[in-house]
Amino acid sequence: MTDTTSTMAPIRTAAGTPIAPGRTPWKHEAVGFVLGFALLALLPLVFGDTYARHILIMAFIYAIVASNWDLSLGYGGVFNFGHLALFGIGVYAYSLLTKLAGLDPWIALFASGIIATLAAILVTIPILRLKGIYIILVTFGFAQLVMQVILSQSDITGGTQGIVRIPGLYWFDHNMVRDGKSAYFYIALALLVASTLFLRVFVRSRAGASIVALRDNEEYAISRGISIVRQRMLTLAASAFFTGIAGAFYAAYQRNASIDVFGMSLATIILSMVLLGGTSTIYGAIIASFVLTVFAEWMADFGAWRPMITAVLIIGVMLAYPSGLAGMIKAAWGAVAGRIKRPA
Amino acid sequence: MSALAEILFGGLFQGSLYAMMAVGLALVWTTIGVFNFSHGVFMMLGAYVAWQLVELGLPAAVAFPVAVVVMAGVGWILQASVVRPLIGRPNIVLVVVITTLAAGSLIENGALTIWGPRSKQIPALIDGNATIGGVGVSLHQIAIIVITPLILAALWMFLNRTRLGLALRAVAQNEDASHLVGLNVTALYGLAFAIAASLAGLAGIFMGGYRFMSPVMGSDPLLKALIVVVFGGISSISGPIFAAYLIGFFEAACSYYFGLYWTPALLFGVLILTLMVRPEGIFASRSRGLA
Repeated sequence: MTDTTSTMAPIRTAAGTPIAPGRTPWKHEAVGFVLGFALLALLPLVFGDTYARHILIMAFIYAIVASNWDLSLGYGGVFNFGHLALFGIGVYAYSLLTKLAGLDPWIALFASGIIATLAAILVTIPILRLKGIYIILVTFGFAQLVMQVILSQSDITGGTQGIVRIPGLYWFDHNMVRDGKSAYFYIALALLVASTLFLRVFVRSRAGASIVALRDNEEYAISRGISIVRQRMLTLAASAFFTGIAGAFYAAYQRNASIDVFGMSLATIILSMVLLGGTSTIYGAIIASFVLTVFAEWMADFGAWRPMITAVLIIGVMLAYPSGLAGMIKAAWGAVAGRIKRPA
Repeated sequence: MSALAEILFGGLFQGSLYAMMAVGLALVWTTIGVFNFSHGVFMMLGAYVAWQLVELGLPAAVAFPVAVVVMAGVGWILQASVVRPLIGRPNIVLVVVITTLAAGSLIENGALTIWGPRSKQIPALIDGNATIGGVGVSLHQIAIIVITPLILAALWMFLNRTRLGLALRAVAQNEDASHLVGLNVTALYGLAFAIAASLAGLAGIFMGGYRFMSPVMGSDPLLKALIVVVFGGISSISGPIFAAYLIGFFEAACSYYFGLYWTPALLFGVLILTLMVRPEGIFASRSRGLA
């Protein structure tokens, strides 16, 4: 197996903020968590128009996908490139379950999460003993495979035409269409809260610590009795559940499903959110999702210049801040906190 | 008879294109240890540069080589801007994936802005058609089938018989030792990218000669090249070449017997199966290096 990282060291040493020993006390994090999401919950009071709310809903969906990707990519160290396929599976599972099987939308939403989890377990089997670039290639292949299967079964999935008029979610007798998107806004936010809570609890747990141990020193972790097979499967399955639900929600919200969700452009954008936000932070991916979604909308009039500017931005941040936005914020916070502690 | 001829011809032709793409990917991977996801965009850009030169009035015999040289420059610049600054980072494999993807998106949308979405076509290498074994083929495709092995053989000679090629192989085998004996490793990284980009550009010119070009034309060949390098083993040059032709034949046979829709699914099935049985590729030895 090729080992590329260790032999390259002499040219330039890794530049990045050293990770502080110990973790934020959970009480501090809980306060920040509640405050942060409470602020998000108040946003509809500020943004009354449906367009702004639509942007926020999309940012919530992307934040769920990106932060769950961070679990397998950042914490697990598994170069999983098939994450968007899990999202796509959620989209199509929900569409088919509600439209063809006539299942209740809420049950279908939950079932889509389960189906995505099963798919993740299935894709873990070929990558259990692989490393680095080979994982990228297999998972990438998996995503393409799912897309090709959907394309080839066009009489069920609509092929390139996609599926339209998918049943949306409902909330008792509430009119979801004429409420300025506030119901969808709060459902999306609730999903993001549940997903983030799940991810943070997971990475702080013993299982979370063991997958990080596997990432950082595989041989040592295995010698201490951590099963790479079980933990890798657990990581991918755990990152798949809310991704599938996000896909299902996306289908319910957009009311149509298309093959575009498997495309490289969406995968690139979401991957940029993970890396831009800074891997193994969860919050970084969420912050970056907001930044990139709003940024992309802000440049909506730029046409083909928009992806070009985004690309330059991504390259710039990757070159200048290896630890992403979370690293930037941490560094800035460190500087500010340093000033406060040492009065001049 | 004609079925066999069709599969044989289709396999040789597709295999040639895949080999040109896959060799570049493998060359970059073995020397620098990164995976270049903008490789498909190189293909597209090569075709567009050639088209532009022909449009400016250059004869194809001049325009094509110039476009290949331009692509070498593009490869070098890309390497210097989004790969070299990252060398030494602990997570270089991952970060280079995203920077090359972003660079690919930049070039793709740049091409869209400059040349527009309308399809274009560049002149064929040789005009005309022929019938071989009951199958109608164009002379352009025959030319590709003949030229590609010559180019690959030239590349093999370069890597095995010249000092520069040997230096490139040395870097692939051991960077530290290459530094110690005074090789300019940075320049060799650039060279690997330049060769890869010009090969991809040439593949693009070949493709633009028989099919309409579009800014996204490189994404499907890149995908196939990915399968090829996994199938043949990424850490060598000869492995991907053989694999490219095998995959070409497999694809031609699949699309003949199972139809176009099932071919990609079957290809990926083979890919996943290969990785489960022989993760280092079917032709690969277990050591890393160019051979």
